[in-house]
Amino acid sequence: MIELAVNFGIFLLLMMLGYLAGSYLEEAHYRRIRARELEMMSMPAVNFRSPPAGWKIESGVLVTGSVVVSVDYFKRFLAGLRMLVGGRLKSYESLLDRGRREALLRMKEEASAQGCQAIINVRLETSRIAGSANQGTAGVEILAFGTAVKLAEN
Amino acid sequence: MKYTARLPTDRINVSKTDPRKETLVLVVGVGACLVVLLALISFSMDLLMGWVPFSWEIRAFEGWGQEMMTAAGVKQHAVDETLQQLIERLASHWPDVPYRFQTGVTPETLPNAFALPGGAVVVTSGLLDRVESENELAFILGHELGHFRNRDHLRGLGRQVVTALAMTAIGVVAGGGGVTDFMTIAHYVTDRRFSREQEFAADRFGLEIVQREYGHVAGAEDFFKHLADEESVWDSRAASYLSTHPWSEGRMERLRRLAEGNGWSDQGNTRPWGNREAGRENSSPTP
Repeated sequence: MIELAVNFGIFLLLMMLGYLAGSYLEEAHYRRIRARELEMMSMPAVNFRSPPAGWKIESGVLVTGSVVVSVDYFKRFLAGLRMLVGGRLKSYESLLDRGRREALLRMKEEASAQGCQAIINVRLETSRIAGSANQGTAGVEILAFGTAVKLAEN
Repeated sequence: MKYTARLPTDRINVSKTDPRKETLVLVVGVGACLVVLLALISFSMDLLMGWVPFSWEIRAFEGWGQEMMTAAGVKQHAVDETLQQLIERLASHWPDVPYRFQTGVTPETLPNAFALPGGAVVVTSGLLDRVESENELAFILGHELGHFRNRDHLRGLGRQVVTALAMTAIGVVAGGGGVTDFMTIAHYVTDRRFSREQEFAADRFGLEIVQREYGHVAGAEDFFKHLADEESVWDSRAASYLSTHPWSEGRMERLRRLAEGNGWSDQGNTRPWGNREAGRENSSPTP
């Protein structure tokens, strides 16, 4: 009886913690992302393989931005239930959206730090960070990379 | 090429969904289905194990019973013979009994008795020290015989194994974590009911065996009286629903009603056990 109460109590606690803390942290992250996107608006990041005609490129450098994100207990539980019956894992969508945008922003920030004005040939890659056997997926790493170019005065 | 600075469209890759609705649908829908599924698996394994022939069980587990007893530190001493004789006398009241019962005593101060698949019955030395009469011990052994007759240990084994497999399989698909914890809790709640009913059924069989052996049921309830005295009332009531062993006063009540219903008397002489004297409120000392 005690064992059940403790198990259930812990489960409920984790769910509440996950929901409350998770939602708060996610909203805070989105706010930061939107603010930085506003700042980095003037740096184009495009995925043309070759530079557009007319660009006079002085130098180019590989830039990357990566981020590792994880979901909270509550989202993980919902996704687990969803995985049994199939359908969209809506609870993971915001996780990946945040991750992608964050990775692109970091890439842009690195380009800016290198004194470049644009990034071409942008690519995104995702890989899974494995957790314990109990946990399955611990998190996701999203990598954005491209060639940052310094343009001649134009 | 002209570049126009633009902000990405916010949240276009995130479905507009109310998390509370999604949660409700998933937890109530899928969650409830999981609970029902686990209960069904438990139930069907319980049924299935009841149909396993005694001969299969004995062939599979008899040797294992001996090994388990050695592992439990069962030591041979003088009491074992009387214990073995007692259980054989009691088993003689079970027509067509398929088991050759083996008994053992394990050195452990907490009073307990348990049945192992295949026909082994182990009691603790603490139990033997605490029983006030042979009749009390006879009821406890009869209760264990009841578990054998109802295949309870086999059912429990089958249920546990298959449920564990099912939960593992589901856990793998659902990516571990919250769903596994959820299933553990669900399983804990649903599994208790079987065990309670099984205990009552074993009680009934035990009481019947005592009646047949001694002609009365005096002394049978003493064990429960001891337990009830030690458990505080609050603990018993609170723990009763979810524990494997139903609380002692409830069991005693049902036994009393059963005895009354069958016209079994709880007055009679009880035989002494070990070096204890037979002196009890419902009986006179044996000459």
